[in-house]
Amino acid sequence: MIGTPKKRLGIAMLFLLPNLIGFLMFTLGPVLFSIGMSFTDWALTKHNPYSDESIRFVGIQNYERLLVGDESHLFWDYFWNTVILMIGIPIGIAGSLGLAIMLHAKAGPAKPSGRLKGALIAVVVGAIACGAVWLVMSPHAAEAGVKSTEIGLADMDQQKVDALRASFAVLITAVLTGVVAIGLAVGQVFFRTIFYLPTLLAGVAMFLLWKALYRPQGGMINAVLQPFLDRLEGIVFATPMMLWYVLGIAIVILGLAYFGLSMARGVRNLSSGDAGPAMFGARVILTILLVVTLVGSGFVATQLPLIGLFPTEKPAPYSQSRAQSVLEELPDQFPALGDRAHVDSALIAYLAPRLDEQALRTLLEDASQLHDGTVPEETREAWMSLGSGVMSEIIVLFDKAVSDEERAEALDRLKIDPLVRPALQELDGASLREAAARRVLVWVDVEPLAAALQTLVPEADAKELNARLLDNAIYRRGLSAGDGLNAPAWLIDAAWAKTALIVMGVWLGVGGGNMLLYLAGLSNIAPELYEAAAIDGASGWQRFIHVTWPQLAPTTFFIVIMSTIGGLQGGFEQALVMTEGKADTIVLTYYLYNLAFTDEFQLGLASAVAWIMFAIIFAMTAFNFRYGSRMTND
Amino acid sequence: MTKPASIQPVAGAPFTPGRKPKKAAPDTSPIEASSKLSRTLVFVGLVLLGMTFVVPFVWQVLIALTENPSEVDTLTRTGMPPAIEPGNFAKVFQRVDFAKYFFNSLFIASWATILQVITCSMAAYAFSRIQWPGRDKVFLLYLGTLMVPGVVLMVPNFAIVLGLGMFNDYTGLIIPAAFSAYGTFLLRQFMLTIPSSLDEAASIDGAGHWRIFSQIILPLARPGLIVLAIFAFLFNYNSFFWPLILTKDDNLRTLPLGLLQFDSTYGPETNLIMAASLMAMLPPIILFIVLQKYLVKGIQLGAVKG
Amino acid sequence: MAHVSIKSVAKVYEGKVRAVDDVNVEIADGEFVVLVGPSGCGKSTTLRMVAGLEAITEGTIHIGDRLVNDVHPKDRDIAMVFQNYALYPHMTVRKNMGFGLALRKMPKQEIDQRVEEAARQLGITDMLERKPKQLSGGQRQRVALGRAIVREPSVFLFDEPLSNLDAKLRVTTRTELKKLHQRLKTTTIYVTHDQEEAMTLGDRIVVMSAGRGVGKVEQVDTPLNVYRHPKNRFVAGFLGLPPMNIVDGKLAESDNGLWFDDEQGLRVRMEDRYRDQLISRVGGPVAIGFRPSAMSEWGEGTYLPPDGVQNANRITVVPRVIEPLGDSIDVSCECGSAKNIVARLAARADFPTNQEVHLSLDMAHVHLFAPGEFGENLIH
Repeated sequence: MIGTPKKRLGIAMLFLLPNLIGFLMFTLGPVLFSIGMSFTDWALTKHNPYSDESIRFVGIQNYERLLVGDESHLFWDYFWNTVILMIGIPIGIAGSLGLAIMLHAKAGPAKPSGRLKGALIAVVVGAIACGAVWLVMSPHAAEAGVKSTEIGLADMDQQKVDALRASFAVLITAVLTGVVAIGLAVGQVFFRTIFYLPTLLAGVAMFLLWKALYRPQGGMINAVLQPFLDRLEGIVFATPMMLWYVLGIAIVILGLAYFGLSMARGVRNLSSGDAGPAMFGARVILTILLVVTLVGSGFVATQLPLIGLFPTEKPAPYSQSRAQSVLEELPDQFPALGDRAHVDSALIAYLAPRLDEQALRTLLEDASQLHDGTVPEETREAWMSLGSGVMSEIIVLFDKAVSDEERAEALDRLKIDPLVRPALQELDGASLREAAARRVLVWVDVEPLAAALQTLVPEADAKELNARLLDNAIYRRGLSAGDGLNAPAWLIDAAWAKTALIVMGVWLGVGGGNMLLYLAGLSNIAPELYEAAAIDGASGWQRFIHVTWPQLAPTTFFIVIMSTIGGLQGGFEQALVMTEGKADTIVLTYYLYNLAFTDEFQLGLASAVAWIMFAIIFAMTAFNFRYGSRMTND
Repeated sequence: MTKPASIQPVAGAPFTPGRKPKKAAPDTSPIEASSKLSRTLVFVGLVLLGMTFVVPFVWQVLIALTENPSEVDTLTRTGMPPAIEPGNFAKVFQRVDFAKYFFNSLFIASWATILQVITCSMAAYAFSRIQWPGRDKVFLLYLGTLMVPGVVLMVPNFAIVLGLGMFNDYTGLIIPAAFSAYGTFLLRQFMLTIPSSLDEAASIDGAGHWRIFSQIILPLARPGLIVLAIFAFLFNYNSFFWPLILTKDDNLRTLPLGLLQFDSTYGPETNLIMAASLMAMLPPIILFIVLQKYLVKGIQLGAVKG
Repeated sequence: MAHVSIKSVAKVYEGKVRAVDDVNVEIADGEFVVLVGPSGCGKSTTLRMVAGLEAITEGTIHIGDRLVNDVHPKDRDIAMVFQNYALYPHMTVRKNMGFGLALRKMPKQEIDQRVEEAARQLGITDMLERKPKQLSGGQRQRVALGRAIVREPSVFLFDEPLSNLDAKLRVTTRTELKKLHQRLKTTTIYVTHDQEEAMTLGDRIVVMSAGRGVGKVEQVDTPLNVYRHPKNRFVAGFLGLPPMNIVDGKLAESDNGLWFDDEQGLRVRMEDRYRDQLISRVGGPVAIGFRPSAMSEWGEGTYLPPDGVQNANRITVVPRVIEPLGDSIDVSCECGSAKNIVARLAARADFPTNQEVHLSLDMAHVHLFAPGEFGENLIH
């Protein structure tokens, strides 16, 4: 090396310094800082330039509170939520491997000329198919002017419905043709690009797409699912409930038995030296995947009657007069509700008629305490979330009203309840929006919302309101409960929300970095190994088990570690964007966010959460290294 | 296939099953003999899987083109919106300051990317091309912080940005993103693949460190720089948590925040939401299509060597 | 043009690992010196110290009359050709060759002139506008050479420049290198692990070893002298292909003189003229060394040692494997305690195997080494 060490250090520093300063300031410094913070009671609401209270060192009190103390029920709830959402990781990894193997395998015509020819043929065939589909489906059957009898299409005549369906079929055929033709012409790279697309776009925009896909009403997934369920309905209802239980339990037992047998055989092979640790590892992972699937589906079968697929009861009828009367009594009974009653009163008005006297009293006391500031955190959050939902609906209705006059006019037009009106008039549209957006938990079940709005806007344009609400979500469940087998209310129903997030996570990540890593790993396997295995007489599956899997072990090892680290930290954006933390989807990062950046800005406590997460990640990584790396050593 | 009588086995002679003509094509080896079927199956599989990735986007476009939010339900029943309305995209800009969000995202992501590439490439040069006392220890520190989960950094960084007076300001969104231990690591790995004899040759040719860095190493590390630039851009473009906690004003909102805000305000108007999210997806798609080959290599490099 | 003197040079890495120790080589102006040795012997380190790419821990290096220990490589007036050529992949051949000149602020016209002249000499004029990737290995090698030539340095340094070429190209390029040196007469230091390259190219060769735990110079001499008079057992074994046969045994005195005896059947009588040098070693362990070509079939025209003692140089072997090479055959045989002695003999189709055969040794080419891997040559 040129120059004296001292001189080299000087030069290196010139190059390093810009980065090093940032590194110390925004990475290493914060790490150390954060450890310190986690032992203090630092909260921005208590310790700020306007208060002279000083930050106190509280020892391990934060950790104590989280793990065993007053925050522990939340912490562990959210921890388990996180863990459950991580079920998607092994599924996703297996999927990534599958996709990589498919992408690595030879597909389509062998010769380049064959590929182009194939693409041309595909285009021609596709064009013909499009024409054929149009001819078959086009609206020649129905006469113009005949009203469609289908639910939700009442306003359209049958001919238009048929025309739309036909053009959609043509569109899908065209898309399929495109995929086939480009796939033939470009080859695997095209598919790799498609698979990678979701990862590339992962972010709020993508989550909004999935939120829309998951809508119980007007979402693509249920639109596809519901027809199947309708067909299944007869079968399911004709089956005695007992059978589902028995079937489910049988599947669970089968799964567990298989697990035991497979493990026993694996251990035997391992101890007799028939199979190395890599084989054993492969067996463990594959078995676990299979058993999780089996036991999971068995469990679902036993739960079928319970998880909302089968409606259990109809909602209580809504009585507007009773709501009205409750509303009117409110200010007298609970002065504390006072000026911001516009939100809460609407909800109380909705809920009141459906509750018995005792429950109503509890509810009203809760609401009252809310404004005294003596209410428990959970209750308050629930109230806030309901309230914000109503608010955001109001904002939509009022958005275009800018000036005071216009606003007043809009309120007049909508015949807003006099009780609510003063509060609304005080706020301008922007601050109302701001207030709503600042709330994290914005979503509200649509059913209460509809009712609440009808209270607020008794004579509003019923059709418009209905359309809005129909569109919004769960309304369908409320309306159609009791009349059949319903597709899940994915993001709204706590029983399904995690499943929904897992499915989305797998879809998003399966074709991403992990797939590319596996692809690289696959192309690094010497073809001679496969040739040798083929000569030794190994079947396709055996070649996978004895060549592919062990050769990919280091890749898998890396992927598993990185995915678990990512998984434990993940889930915040999805939950915030798609469920706003409803339906039991709050994960640890979300919790940290809630602690540190909303309400009380408890930076100390939040830091403790971060360090507990770090400890868990560290432990898992260490465990992986200790036991997982054995897999990669042979 | 019926055999001609002449090759019937002679009475008493053992029948040899090997006589049957083999199916294999003349110039394929036995291993590849079954490949025609498997090629077709794999291709069909790829097409079907590909459709599951394409169809949601098709649906998104259809919704974005739907005139009236109440027709979204019709759309899911018929597949097509009753009327096509391209004006939804313009409507998004009228409803909220979407152009500003777009600008913010692109502005912040671009600056963060440029600065990050500069600082990381220089640091990577110091780590990969210069021998200096303590180098490995400092690098180990960098590496060590890669293991620390991002959430650990969020809270103290928030406090630091607050303390530096960069809260609710472009600087608070750009400056912390201008340094990256990961980027340094990635570029160092990349630069290690450049033979050291090149800088030695340059040094004999008379080049100093700055010249070696700018004229030899940077041009050769270009694929690595592009990879880092893509990563940094995408990360900052999609970044959500950081802008969420660090901004207050509407005119500082980035796209993800703007989208979230848009969704919570106009949630029921799915057609507009889809139009907005579709537009937000465009920059990454364009970036990806243009730079795909670098990105794929980069992901594999960053991980396999790590 | 300059002479290079390397005095007591040592390299210690990170204050602990001693890579090279006590290297002393004086290289005359215009001389072609080859550093050769097995991997890890420090030959490249030594060259890189001359180039200034490695700091010199101990000792001094002079280029010309200038002490260069602390001189930056660019100021040492040297040019270097690397094993992997180290061509800048993103520059054209022309740029590659002119880069060093451009950095020295030479007028563009002159650079072009020099580059084109060098390209003409090396026959790469057509490739000036191409990038290294578009060139074959041999062409890249020429470009690397050209880059060194245009600088017109006072010393050329070569670090295994031929090892990435295929065997045939290596031989032709080797010849061209030699011609080039004869024309330019620039002082050259050349590092290789290939003994054939070392023998053919060097005016003198420096044999280095790693065996003592540190890179060391074993012998510095002309190629023929090193081959014929290896200073120690290491040098003897390193040069020559197939390598010299070396068998451990004892020096014994019997009535008619000093004998090497491995006590399992291999006995060779040492020539009497070495008696005085060897007498002190009688009874002690020694190793005998003889090249495969120092043997011939025992029979008519057999070489007899000058002191004429019958059978003094006759050894009995059992041939196991015959490898025909055309004009000659390599016979691998067992001989006394040695399981694999290779003899290069005149070709003969019916050479017997697996039975005892007598061979005669050319005593002029027999060496006797002190014990140990680096045992000194006792008789030459």
